[in-house]
Amino acid sequence: MDWWIWLVIVVAVLAAAGAALVALQARRRSGGVIAQGRRPRGRRSGS
Amino acid sequence: MTTYLRASEIIRKPVVTLGGEDVAQVKDILFDASKGRIRGFTLTGRGLLSGPLHRELLWRNVHRLGPDAVMVRTGNALEDDDSTAQSAVEEPGGGNVLGIAMTTRSGTRLGTITDAIIETGATPVVAGYELESPGHGSVLVPVAGPVTVSSERVLVPDETAEHSAGTLESFGTAAEGLRRRLEQDAQEKQED
Repeated sequence: MDWWIWLVIVVAVLAAAGAALVALQARRRSGGVIAQGRRPRGRRSGS
Repeated sequence: MTTYLRASEIIRKPVVTLGGEDVAQVKDILFDASKGRIRGFTLTGRGLLSGPLHRELLWRNVHRLGPDAVMVRTGNALEDDDSTAQSAVEEPGGGNVLGIAMTTRSGTRLGTITDAIIETGATPVVAGYELESPGHGSVLVPVAGPVTVSSERVLVPDETAEHSAGTLESFGTAAEGLRRRLEQDAQEKQED
């Protein structure tokens, strides 16, 4: 195979790995709103 | 004056000491589902490549929740582990409320929770939720009275559906309206 085909393959693999890493990192850092407690009850709002 | 903030405005805020040092970044907001009170935050490190810190910041150690940063006195304000957050996720009735459904007690699905509304103050509380509602788009729904949170849905009184708001500015009025309505209903029940 021509050398440039190998270059394209290597660049494509690196790009895919980079995108996967960025997605994984975004997932690790993504936040949430976590409820704590068993069988919770209500609250009074607007006080 | 009561101020309301979206939880998404707090998530990813830097945690800064009074000495000016960035020590962490807010990842999750932890709240006590029984009363809606904010208990604290889980944290990630600063910088693009850093992951979860496995430490947490309890609300009692927060000096000030500012518009651009969560202020703490020193780096010692952070707990050495994240045991509170871990136990919360494992308990029945615990877990992330973003992405789960809000349903009334009579079984009507109001929408999917996309954000939480935080009432700020000395003890901040989760005062409501932002929902993506089929046919209505994005609506802000206050919570008051008995509210049950499970890993799959938040159950609210039927009256909740009648007191939604379109914007954060009108949310306070909706929350007050719902509170009065539930008080009135409770009073009528007592009289019967």
